[in-house]
Amino acid sequence: MHESFLAYRKFLYLKLGVGLIVLSIGAYALHEPPHGPNGGTWLGYTLGTIGAGLILWLLFYGIRKRQYHSKLGQVSGWLSGHVYLGSALLVVATLHCGFKFGWNVHTLSYVLMIMVIVSGAYGIFTYVRYPTLLTDNKGGMAIDAMLSEIGDLDRQCLQIAAEMGDKAHQMILRSIERTSFGTTSWRDALGGVSKGLEDLGREIKSIAGDAEPPAPLPAAIPQIGGEATVFFVADQLAGFRDSARAALGHRLLDLITSKKALVIRVQRDIVYRKLLKSWLSLHLPLSIALLAALTVHVVTVFFYW
Amino acid sequence: MAERAYKIAVIGAGPAGLSAAARAAEVGVSHVLLEGAPHLSNTIYRYQKGKLVMAEPTVLPLRSTIDFEAGSRERVLSVWDEAAARLRVNVRHGAEVAVVGGTQGNFTVSLAGGEVVSAEFVVLATGLQGNLRKLGVPGENLPFVQYQLDDPDEYENETIVVVGAGDSAIENAVALSAHNKVIIINRRDDFDKAKEGNRTAIERAIQDSVIECLYNSAPVRAEAASDRNGKPGVLVVKTASGEVALDCDRVIARLGAMPPRKFVESCGIEFPNNDPNAVPAVSAQYESNVRGLYIIGALAGYPLIKQAMNQGYEVVEFIEGRAIEPADEPVLRDKFRAVVEIRSVSSALEVIKKNVPVLSGLTTLQLREFMLDSVIRAPKRGEILFELNDYSDTFFSIVRGGVDIHVDPNDASKHVALTKGDFFGEMSLISGRRRNATVTAGERCILIETPRRSMNKLINSVASVKRIIDDTFLRRAIQSQIAPELPAEALREVVASARIERFNAGKVLFKEGDPGDSLHLIRKGSVTVARDIGGRERVLSYVAAGNYVGEMALLTDSPRSATVRASIETETIRLDGTAFKALLSRWPDIQGKMQSKARDLLAGQSAKVQQSPEGAGDLISFLVNQGVGEATDVLLIDETLCVRCDHCEKACAETHGGTSRLDREAGPTFAFIHVPTSCRHCEHPHCMKDCPPDALRRAPNGEVIILDSCIGCGNCETNCPYGVIQMAVKEEPKPVNLLSWFLFGKGRAPGEEISGHHDAGAAKIATKCDMCKDLAGGPACVRACPTGAAIRVSPEQFLTVTRGTTLDRS
Repeated sequence: MHESFLAYRKFLYLKLGVGLIVLSIGAYALHEPPHGPNGGTWLGYTLGTIGAGLILWLLFYGIRKRQYHSKLGQVSGWLSGHVYLGSALLVVATLHCGFKFGWNVHTLSYVLMIMVIVSGAYGIFTYVRYPTLLTDNKGGMAIDAMLSEIGDLDRQCLQIAAEMGDKAHQMILRSIERTSFGTTSWRDALGGVSKGLEDLGREIKSIAGDAEPPAPLPAAIPQIGGEATVFFVADQLAGFRDSARAALGHRLLDLITSKKALVIRVQRDIVYRKLLKSWLSLHLPLSIALLAALTVHVVTVFFYW
Repeated sequence: MAERAYKIAVIGAGPAGLSAAARAAEVGVSHVLLEGAPHLSNTIYRYQKGKLVMAEPTVLPLRSTIDFEAGSRERVLSVWDEAAARLRVNVRHGAEVAVVGGTQGNFTVSLAGGEVVSAEFVVLATGLQGNLRKLGVPGENLPFVQYQLDDPDEYENETIVVVGAGDSAIENAVALSAHNKVIIINRRDDFDKAKEGNRTAIERAIQDSVIECLYNSAPVRAEAASDRNGKPGVLVVKTASGEVALDCDRVIARLGAMPPRKFVESCGIEFPNNDPNAVPAVSAQYESNVRGLYIIGALAGYPLIKQAMNQGYEVVEFIEGRAIEPADEPVLRDKFRAVVEIRSVSSALEVIKKNVPVLSGLTTLQLREFMLDSVIRAPKRGEILFELNDYSDTFFSIVRGGVDIHVDPNDASKHVALTKGDFFGEMSLISGRRRNATVTAGERCILIETPRRSMNKLINSVASVKRIIDDTFLRRAIQSQIAPELPAEALREVVASARIERFNAGKVLFKEGDPGDSLHLIRKGSVTVARDIGGRERVLSYVAAGNYVGEMALLTDSPRSATVRASIETETIRLDGTAFKALLSRWPDIQGKMQSKARDLLAGQSAKVQQSPEGAGDLISFLVNQGVGEATDVLLIDETLCVRCDHCEKACAETHGGTSRLDREAGPTFAFIHVPTSCRHCEHPHCMKDCPPDALRRAPNGEVIILDSCIGCGNCETNCPYGVIQMAVKEEPKPVNLLSWFLFGKGRAPGEEISGHHDAGAAKIATKCDMCKDLAGGPACVRACPTGAAIRVSPEQFLTVTRGTTLDRS
């Protein structure tokens, strides 16, 4: 029922891209210009025009994607073309220049193009890989639900820790305060969820409330998943002699472990979402740079013939 | 002591009485308006603060000296108060009428205080609300028993027993439950009489134990409590398991109102029968059997405000001896203009009554109202009325001429003719699905086309209409689904054995291993077919309305091979197995066809079980649980493809006034198929059930849309079980300038939502997915998806192991 952009209309654009490559290579093989293949021959111009046209069309994708009223087909079709014809550009442009490289603006355009294509290829990789991981990681649980569950677990941990004594209470409090889901920009990847995070932060502060402010730690404890807390509680547990305290310790350990698992899941969710987007911050500026370099390349070629 | 004589004494200052007195004042007729309460229009005055007063039926023109249009209670009352003052209506408050004596020219109206008012004519417009139905058991007048609730916030921390299962009982119970312990007593075992929204609200409250409900129960007696420390009262209730005594602070009985029969009869007015709900008979001029005594409004059987106001105006005209045609006459005349030969509205209505049996059981007033909602059509021969697979849901009655139903889309020569008196379009009306055939007009035909809502209203209020439509549906469904090629006569026995059965969501039609004694044609809703595989019930397929289930056991004379369950509220036509087998043995062709179909189906199912013992069936159950079973078109996101870019939401916001009608992230996921919060365009849209301005419609392509006539009441938002309707301020967002946004970050980002930027008081209207009906190229959410993760499909496309009908196969 669903059709991936890679398979759009039975791989229509893959076929077109391959066709373009085959045609280009064929023409290149048959073509024997007097001074060897370069951008100045009739084939060089032809391939160059095709390449430049393609680049403009590929850039237009960024606009089409945001033209929500557009009647020009499905965006998934556009992306399909973007991917396959963009990849074909690799061959078209290489044959256009006839493997003539140098330290000039022409080769700069070429290099930028390669970088754009490579970053795009990485983008495809993320598009194929991370959507599935995201869903698997969530396991049917919404991020908001995970966050509120983390809040619940924190509350329970604090309660038990309070029964276990000051030291444990301090440790847990610190652990809760230091639970982090990444930097602000990572949080942005979560969109609306970041508000939930702020709320949680505030709530944790209010739980801590009147309790003594935790003494500054001598050194930062790595808090990825709160291993330090787990070790601390496990350590304590080993030292417990009476069964009631041991039972408390066991429960605390269970709670911390569940929380740790949840925190890791939230963190992973953030990371995957970020990965799905971050490549664009390379792909896009490079594309703009390519457009600039390409403009210079075309202008210089025509004016300084 | 007799006061000076008036020409007209109007009793009751509700919409009807007020309108009558206002007209009398306008034309300078001496009059008096007698009202017991210290204000006008007591019933509306006692509405909850801010309650919306409706002006139904919309098509009926208002003809009154005073204005009236739908609006808040406060607004309506202030307009009336102002008009009464301006026209110098002679109103006497606190005038409780005890008895009316005399006859035309010489009436004496005795007030409770002993005063007497004389008048030549009397207009009785007391309505029914002055006579609330009481508990009817000993203790019904004890101080802790009340029949009204003005302000639910008046009571806190009390135990309150609410008696009744209608809208007011439910509204009171739900409102009271915020601060009190509420027990509701329902005589029946459901709340089906109430409006959809109220029904859902009370059922949810009961399920969540917010309100306790005693079903199949009735009060036996109310007693003042003997124990001084406990609750002040006890209500003894008879339940299915014996009597229980409920200690409570108060009892609020909301049992409706009935005509104040004793008072009316004391005036010499006769009732047509002994039914406590009967209203006195009046002439076409609203005159009762007592000459000069007129009855208008709810007491005469016309409960709507606008009708009552029109009657108030008209009754004064009649008394003044002016002939006046009904207010809707010009509208109707206009409608009948399509038919040249018909001269007057009344003769047209006569013709309709005579020619169309399904409408002949209607009273003239009902027929007028029905015609106001309907359209008269006189199509040319061959004109297409609707096409196969259209989503229209109007109902057609043939007044003259005939139409052709094209039963086979591939063969234009195959058609069934319907003639004068027949009707069609009932299949889509009942099943909520696409048209199952194309219909074209015949020679010189005249049709009445009626919208779904008016038709449903009629079906629910006039028993004869329901019966005729149900019978015809039954006959036609059996014929078209089982054996279109057989003569109607051959099916008589099967049709006679048929009966309509209803199943709530999740109820079993039959279980695997049961003896096969019947066949079910699904006429509304849908079902899932499941089999026990490895000790677990596994869903194999989904079957939509317009198909049949249960034929396998009949064909093979074996027990049921699968369990069939209603996936939503479903109605089937159950055909008796013996009669059906007899039919098959007489017509081996049919048997052969059904057998080969069944064989394919079985093979398909067992292949499915082999191929994917887990996935597919569980996905069907998941989707059915998500309400996809009642959808006609649902947005499904493949999470293996979705890159969470939210372009679907942005596209939706951008194309719909800056408010996205879909929430991608929300909603459950199973086997990587995500069902976001987005309209499913249900077969029988829940949102449509209680839309006062009838602004929710189904467009010809199936999408359920909201018209501009939305008044923002929020009923649809409450009624939608999928949470896909939002109330939003209507606003056109500023156009996006892509370049300046991209280069300088200026202006609105494409797809940015604008909601939330306006003041709290701004008027909101309901917004929902309209499937981008105005955009060429289909839904923007799907078109904007860069990876192909988002699709909109009908559940059959996605779920069905095709179980075609004979129609499809031929």
